Amino acid sequence: MTLSFTLNGQPCATEAPEHWTVLDLLRDGLGLMGTKYGCGEGVCGTCTVLADGRPIRACLVLAAHVRGRTLVTVEGLELDGRLDPIQTAFAERGAAQCGYCTPGIMLAAKALLLENPSPSEHEVREALSGNLCRCTGYTKIVEAVLAAAGSR
Amino acid sequence: MRLQPFRLLEPESLPEAIEALGRLDGEARLVAGGTALVAMMRLGLVKPDRLVSLHRVPGLSRIRVDGGALELGAMTTHADIERSRAVRDGWPLLAEAVHRVATPAIRTSGTIGGNLAYAEAASDPAPALLCLNAEVQVVGSKGERAIPVTRFFRGFYEAALEPNEIVAAVRVPTPPAGARGGYVKFTPRSAEDKPLVGVAALVALDASGRCVEARIGLGGAAPTPIRAERAEHLLRGEPLTDSAARAAAETAAAEADPLSDLMGSADYRREMIRVWVRRLLIGLRDGTRG
Repeated sequence: MTLSFTLNGQPCATEAPEHWTVLDLLRDGLGLMGTKYGCGEGVCGTCTVLADGRPIRACLVLAAHVRGRTLVTVEGLELDGRLDPIQTAFAERGAAQCGYCTPGIMLAAKALLLENPSPSEHEVREALSGNLCRCTGYTKIVEAVLAAAGSR
Repeated sequence: MRLQPFRLLEPESLPEAIEALGRLDGEARLVAGGTALVAMMRLGLVKPDRLVSLHRVPGLSRIRVDGGALELGAMTTHADIERSRAVRDGWPLLAEAVHRVATPAIRTSGTIGGNLAYAEAASDPAPALLCLNAEVQVVGSKGERAIPVTRFFRGFYEAALEPNEIVAAVRVPTPPAGARGGYVKFTPRSAEDKPLVGVAALVALDASGRCVEARIGLGGAAPTPIRAERAEHLLRGEPLTDSAARAAAETAAAEADPLSDLMGSADYRREMIRVWVRRLLIGLRDGTRG
């Protein structure tokens, strides 16, 4: 099937098998490896990308269902060679260890800040509740998201 | 890991979708947001040959207030329902329950029609919709019909849908005047998990504190979401005292028929129903809930 959508600010038209998910499309169809395969069941959150500014699970959403929509992956977070404030805050505060959950967490955070530019700590924790990190314990992650919100 | 290959059909109207479901050989499944179905396919629990997607059918994701009733198109996402001003103002119990579904990135894809058709016992929206006396509007090859949510769940993961029937909308009447509602979800493992038990309640008290209406919906308390009718009956016409709340909670626990699974045993579920029904009723009475 043919799919057209906007990907990281650019129009994208591609062919994909009907049984592909968005994750298959991004990684195998388009070679964008920033979006990770974790549990494959929508639980861990590492495949989180944005569709029309909201977080979705790339492993559960059928590729056909993003036709005409606007996707942002971790590769599209930086703009004109400048890191997103969320990326800067994660780097400065060491909010990653192995890094496998980081793309999904940054996109969940991006969705939060698009909708609510000044979240409370509770709102940050709620927005990240679907993203599992097995290394850091979340403290630095939450601090980084709050710092990114404060830096705008 | 890829999904097993399947054909994807994308009809552009409900009649086309009904026809697509009807004409196919092998196993066809309807897909809305996919949050339940794709996960089940990934686990190998269902192996459909074809999926019929409702994404191209127009008009299925509207939120409309019509003649005092809320009408949610079947493809309305949990994220849109929880953000809707009309829902938050007029049906706050529903907004609260939908907000507790899984995680933000699931709520943006999962739909209210899909949640009901999945007929999971541990649904968060179902206990609220049971309390609100909602009805499910269904279309099929024999026409349209409305099914009260109280009769929509037929068994374990089984909705009262005929093979070619599709959930088109959910209609929720205005709650009784002065009613207070709330939803509590007990998740012993992690906050975004499915409820071990979920309790929705809606009570209306008169000036003397007597229950003029009492409705209790339970998730995780039986093979399907249920109303705790005997507990409700005990409360109606009575003052909502601590002991009345306790008696109702004990009755709700007794009329529940919970299953044992990895999350918890039937006995533990029954005990938690008793605890959370009582807490919610007292919280609604005291204005600390809902």
